[in-house]
Amino acid sequence: MKKKYQKLSDNSYSFVLTIPATLLTVVFIIVPIIQSLIMSFQKYGVKNIISGKPGTWNNFRNYTKLFESNQIPEAAYHTIWFVLFVIMFQFLIGMALALVLNKEFKGSRFFRSIMMTPWVVPTVISGLIWMWLFQPQYGFTKYFISILSFGQVTDLAILNNPRTALGGIAVAALWKQIPLTTLLLLAGLQNVPKSTLEAATIDGAGAIRRFFSIIIPYLAPVIKITISMAIIENFKQFPLFWTMTGGGPNGSTTNFAILSYREAFVSMNLGSGAAVTTMWMIMMIVIVGLYQKYFKVQDLS
Amino acid sequence: MKKRLPTILKFIVLALIMLFLLFPIYWMLITSFKTNMEAYLYPPSFFPKTVVLDAFISLFSENNEFFVYYFNNFLVSFISALITCFVAIFAGYSIARFNTKWSKTFVAILLSSQMFPIISRMISLYSMMSNMGIINTRLGLILAIVAAQVPFCCLLLSSFFINIPREIEEAATVDGASRNTILFKLLTPLVTPGILAVGIFAFLKTWDDYLHAATLIQSDNLRTLSVGISLRYLGELSYDWSLINSISVVGTLPMVLVFFFFQKYMVKGLVAGAVKG
Repeated sequence: MKKKYQKLSDNSYSFVLTIPATLLTVVFIIVPIIQSLIMSFQKYGVKNIISGKPGTWNNFRNYTKLFESNQIPEAAYHTIWFVLFVIMFQFLIGMALALVLNKEFKGSRFFRSIMMTPWVVPTVISGLIWMWLFQPQYGFTKYFISILSFGQVTDLAILNNPRTALGGIAVAALWKQIPLTTLLLLAGLQNVPKSTLEAATIDGAGAIRRFFSIIIPYLAPVIKITISMAIIENFKQFPLFWTMTGGGPNGSTTNFAILSYREAFVSMNLGSGAAVTTMWMIMMIVIVGLYQKYFKVQDLS
Repeated sequence: MKKRLPTILKFIVLALIMLFLLFPIYWMLITSFKTNMEAYLYPPSFFPKTVVLDAFISLFSENNEFFVYYFNNFLVSFISALITCFVAIFAGYSIARFNTKWSKTFVAILLSSQMFPIISRMISLYSMMSNMGIINTRLGLILAIVAAQVPFCCLLLSSFFINIPREIEEAATVDGASRNTILFKLLTPLVTPGILAVGIFAFLKTWDDYLHAATLIQSDNLRTLSVGISLRYLGELSYDWSLINSISVVGTLPMVLVFFFFQKYMVKGLVAGAVKG
């Protein structure tokens, strides 16, 4: 029997199929990113938008101004502090929950399902929920902490204090993100072979030894992906900061996202906003690159 | 005795973490059923003394601008999810099935464009869309949002296409089926779980959008949920917390329903997308 072939070659058909996705990505992501890189070296304000005139070169003024006023270093500090804090606790708590839920017990299925709820709450609404819990006069946490401290701390106002505001937002971020981390780690735990674990138990390995010598190595690829997703997500966090503190009090929660949004869309100085996002992206690429380089894993499965 | 202690410890860990995850939801629910007088009680009450629907009634009567944002959010999320699904079917199949030079570049473009912050795009899209005349329109908003979902969704769906054996396609080719017939009539039904995962994921992500709408939409009657809530109901000195909590309940409800109804597909999709993508 003669074999039939398709009229269109593989090459052209596969290319045609990618056209819509390519167009969307190039027009609405790649080109805008390149254009905002260019704008970061220009004086580009609201006048340019109205008149449609291109921006004018301003000799790195956007950058020098942001560094002189110490805004970029501060935003970098807040961003990195937030990312590290959230990722550390997200991983520890998510791992603890995944290990507990990995065993079958009465109700384990129910808990695996209901623990996802915070993940589906819209980000702005999670901000509202936590603002209400943190409310300085009638909030639940004020009451909770005053009981925990036996009446020592009675004036807790997490989001109004420059020293604790960033931590308050981090708690809200943890609340929303722990479910997904747990879900992915739970899926990873399915790949750990039961027979290896049983053999180790028979050979006398304790729970801690089994965790570090068997579970962690098998889980490593999933851990790597989970953490790199979390780095990117928290590096870019905007709505929680914007609803909960707006960058305050006293600029103590101004991260890259807030700084660039304020420069570009509140002060309507788009060139300066673009300079912030450029520094932000460079930093993100460096950190993600270093992470990928130093966190190499072997795929055991 | 030796076995009991770790078990107790495990349940304490489980109880503490679950409390952290679920108590805020409970707190939102009971506050929305309290009177404002009771919401402002200190120390707070853990069960509403009198269950009232005041906050919901005021939401439906006086503060019903909320439902304009709500409707817009549904519309934008639904259309964005639909378009994303189509784009992802084409591109996902192409990535999974063909190994051409272009497809390697294409995957690299998709992977790298997931990383860029939205604000960086919006700074130039704002002026670009002004020039194109689609700023402050639903069309512009949907296009910008779909573009943001496309990279992850294409990679996600390709991980479903890759599991279909090639013999199916080869047999259909021998029978004289055209390429489009193979893709749309034969293969697409086979990846229905993947398409559902992509659709729900795109819907959830768009429902959650803040930045696209905050920068591209200026008219109040086109605003979507997140921006509408934060512009209209926040920022005053005294917040009406019962009302805000009732808004939170109504704004979250569709997501909870969608997620728990399609949980099976979502969980599979998220795991596949994250691990392959």
